[in-house]
Amino acid sequence: MQPFALNYARPAVELEATTPYVYDSGLQLNVLLDGRVAACDHALLRELGTTTSTAGSKTHFDD
Amino acid sequence: MTVLILTNDEDVTADMVVVHLNTSGVPVVRLDPADLTYSVALSGEFVHGSFRGHLSSGGRLVSIGGLRSVWLRRPGGPATRAAEPSAWLTEESGQALYGLLRGSGARWMNQPDAAHRARYKPWQLRVAQRCGLPVPATLITTFPRAAREFAERYPDLVVKPVSGVHPQDPPLAVPTSRVPPEADFSSVAHGPTLLQRRIAKRADIRLTAVGDELLAARKATSAEVDPDDVDVRFAESAEPWRPTEVPPRVAESVRSYLTAAGLAYGALDFAEDGDGIWWFLECNQSGQFGFVEVDTGLPIARTIAEWLARPRSEDPVGSGRPDTTAVS
Repeated sequence: MQPFALNYARPAVELEATTPYVYDSGLQLNVLLDGRVAACDHALLRELGTTTSTAGSKTHFDD
Repeated sequence: MTVLILTNDEDVTADMVVVHLNTSGVPVVRLDPADLTYSVALSGEFVHGSFRGHLSSGGRLVSIGGLRSVWLRRPGGPATRAAEPSAWLTEESGQALYGLLRGSGARWMNQPDAAHRARYKPWQLRVAQRCGLPVPATLITTFPRAAREFAERYPDLVVKPVSGVHPQDPPLAVPTSRVPPEADFSSVAHGPTLLQRRIAKRADIRLTAVGDELLAARKATSAEVDPDDVDVRFAESAEPWRPTEVPPRVAESVRSYLTAAGLAYGALDFAEDGDGIWWFLECNQSGQFGFVEVDTGLPIARTIAEWLARPRSEDPVGSGRPDTTAVS
């Protein structure tokens, strides 16, 4: 039998496989294809959900 | 002096802080311990009573003695991207890196021992109680009978993971969920189960604490949301997060909590009930804050950057040392 809490589990919804930015080790920042810093585009971050409390759940605590 | 940020490359939330540090002209070295022996290197020398240490990453070289602060954000496992990774190499690399950094004298957000301890939810609940924060009645048990008796006393319950970790094989999400009164608690015997009295909430509160600064956001419970969808992370709601004031008594208790926990940073979740009482749910020692900032405009990233940029001696809480005498 599975633990009680897993009776309430649901399939995980993965974030989109690709994000429209890539890490630039020189800048130490993620940048968009047009060279802008992704973190400065709040509308994009809201849309992608990459700053939410469930982002990174696979590798880190969900917080 | 330099700010060291330990996190993964994809951590765009950390980017929000790096932007502010760059604007302030504060030197930053960002690295992921997962890249040790691949693109990250370290060295520390203990000779004739003195210590000299260095880290390098992406062509940057920084003296460990020249670190003003270390932000332990979302680092990968040490050396997990090495050419030939192994559990042994990860342990060796973690001992070397964090051991050297512990001797740096830098201020931590958050100090690793405090961060580790702060993840224990039962410990959080006890500290919150002691600091005067209302805590919903909670049971953590593997006894089905104890669960049944708890459900008789508190018929309206939720269940949530003890750890906050989601299963990966297969990938599952385990949201906080309402437990129906007729639930069969027999499977409680197969895993520690956290049951908690459900707070009939009119809003969720996310309070981000950075040193002494408290930045709170409130998300009103929408009338359109299914009452069974109690977990704000998973419930569909058009209601945004909005800035809110922190009641003075709550602020005092939260600061006591952070001091007791030895934390320089914490993201605390509360449920606000119909009387306006903030019920403590948890404190995430490395909780996400970007989603709050983009909704509310609260200057969380800037506040973190300012904390990290301070000189070592300015902030007595800054060392982030766990206060083992207060709560253990």
